[in-house]
Amino acid sequence: MSVEMNHYTNEFQTFQQNGAAKSPDWVNDVRTAALSVFTGKGFPTTKQEDWKYTNVTPIARAPFRYSASAPAVPAELVTSLLIGDTEQHLIVFVNGHFSAEHSRLQSLPAGLTVKNLIAAYGSHADLIKAHLSKYAPYDKNPFTALNTAFINDGAFIHAAKGTKSSLPVHLLFISTAAGDAPAASHIRNLIIAEEGAEVRIAHSFASAQDNTNLTNVVTEVSAGRESIVELVKVQRESEKAFHVEHLHVHQEPRSTSRVFSLAVGGAIARNEMSVIIGGETTECNLNGLYITSGEQLIDHHTFMHHIHPECPSHELFKGILMDKSRAVFNGKVYVEPEAQKTDSKQTNRNLLLSDEAVVDTKPELEIFADDVKCTHGAAVGGMNETHSFYLKTRGISEGSARGILTVGFAAEVTQKIDDPVLRRFVDTIVVDHLRRKFGTGNLPEIVHA
Amino acid sequence: MIEIKNLHANVNGKEILKGINLKVNAGEVHAIMGPNGSGKSTLAQVLSGHPAYQVTQGEVLFEGQDLLDMEPEERAHAGVFLAFQYPVEIPGVSNSYFLKAGLNEIRKSRGQEELDSFQFLKLLKEKMKVVEMDQSFINRPVNEGFSGGEKKRNEILQMAVLEPKLAILDETDSGLDIDALKIVSSGVNKLKSPSNATIVVTHYQRLLNYIVPDFVHVLVHGRIVKSGGKELALELEANGYDFIREEMLQSA
Repeated sequence: MSVEMNHYTNEFQTFQQNGAAKSPDWVNDVRTAALSVFTGKGFPTTKQEDWKYTNVTPIARAPFRYSASAPAVPAELVTSLLIGDTEQHLIVFVNGHFSAEHSRLQSLPAGLTVKNLIAAYGSHADLIKAHLSKYAPYDKNPFTALNTAFINDGAFIHAAKGTKSSLPVHLLFISTAAGDAPAASHIRNLIIAEEGAEVRIAHSFASAQDNTNLTNVVTEVSAGRESIVELVKVQRESEKAFHVEHLHVHQEPRSTSRVFSLAVGGAIARNEMSVIIGGETTECNLNGLYITSGEQLIDHHTFMHHIHPECPSHELFKGILMDKSRAVFNGKVYVEPEAQKTDSKQTNRNLLLSDEAVVDTKPELEIFADDVKCTHGAAVGGMNETHSFYLKTRGISEGSARGILTVGFAAEVTQKIDDPVLRRFVDTIVVDHLRRKFGTGNLPEIVHA
Repeated sequence: MIEIKNLHANVNGKEILKGINLKVNAGEVHAIMGPNGSGKSTLAQVLSGHPAYQVTQGEVLFEGQDLLDMEPEERAHAGVFLAFQYPVEIPGVSNSYFLKAGLNEIRKSRGQEELDSFQFLKLLKEKMKVVEMDQSFINRPVNEGFSGGEKKRNEILQMAVLEPKLAILDETDSGLDIDALKIVSSGVNKLKSPSNATIVVTHYQRLLNYIVPDFVHVLVHGRIVKSGGKELALELEANGYDFIREEMLQSA
């Protein structure tokens, strides 16, 4: 066994001694099985097609340690990461551990449960057993196997039949330095929307310092019949951090999912987003924006699985790349023979603001039904000359035109976020981030038509 | 105000303008007419400095300065404005931000103080009345989701705010119904003064019923082949561009 695998086997033993006991026995069986898959496979290498453009050697080499408890983080930090000052439904985790101190869960509407997974074993044991590790297969992705081996805590959301929550629920995950060794957080989230429920979720990740943590997340979402689930992920961890998430959305008939991914943080960040469109006339919207600079690498791998007929799926991912950064977009659409009348559209557009930035974009369509409408397109280019000329004829300088058009490029995809509060949240983070990167406060706030 | 001498220009290696000569004084309105592909829009784009066009010969003096040596934004600072045939949509960026950014850069270049948000908004609202534009357009993204008429009206609003010395209107009438045409023309007419000038580029005479030119020039194959007063436009309307071609053949 390699040095790396020995490290994780030792880590697992430590974990079992001082954390794992908080969950039911059946979870431990899953963990043990997942650990043997992980140690058998090891970390992925660039020889594997799915990891061809993303080299995770820096993650494999670093001796990440499971942190048994959460270090303190200041209240001001938490406040600075909120959607708004008067935020009501907030659950905070620090290095994967629930922080009761920073969470605000007093005013949840009837029918909506938001708690940490460990607490939920007590109140929703059967429900968890029915859903946990049912959508995220750990035999395919080593990071999912690693996460599953270390299942401990994370967010649990349950929206009972017909529950409608008007305010978004904010799941906030903060990573922070813990002792000398870099810390790993294996976060496990479970979101269940029952029939006709509507939930909106901010799913956000940030760092307390410029720390080199590993955040390895698996999130499973079950969208019941006719439910609407909007999940907006905001990943703004430190540019030294490593971030991996595998998000699985399982949709029942006539449900609607709206998933958005904003990724601006991490030295290496990998988002896998899989949607199983498991019922007729089910709608899926999967959109995202990544902004990379320095030597960052941000990778999105999406998978839309059309199993049933007459389901629309819409996918728009945009990227803004600066300096020597890299981005990967791989969008797979799989249409089963039964999934006739599928209407699937996938677009990936990249704006390269530097000659040294690189993007690898790859649509992957596998269609086995004959009566479908499936389109895809990918574009990589610099600033649009005609657009830039238009601005300059109004007296706007080259530099300002660049800033304005970059904001416009981003806004075209953030407008896909349905919930106005979440859209505003993302727009503000995008503009603040671009202001920092462009080194000017002189960039417009985003407005939408 | 502007003097164009023997102007030649290429796009993708193809010569489009083949020696344009034109002089426009303050207070004048000039119409450039011509069939499709004659080089009308190219002239408008070259004067504003579109990077896709290469000037191969000739010179353009704007108030005595070498216009061709200036960047597009410097031309705007000097007082040149182009109303686009196809205005660009900029999602996410409000009309007011866009216009304020332009106006303040122009003011800065002239050593004038920049306007703050309050002063700018007051100015913008006044100018919106000139082009009969609803105030809801202040915070809408630039041209996004605007109808053809709204986009053209927005171009004239920009012109009203930036107060250019020379306004070039490139096919401003294309895609406009008669009501929109009247509103847009009336906006242009209200902005006319003895100290500014307008070049109207158009295929049809229709617009010239509302924006009455002092001079009409006919552009064919990259050259001005005929110049005259406003009656020349009516002649073209009645006889089409063919009669010019015939005249050219006879004189050749």
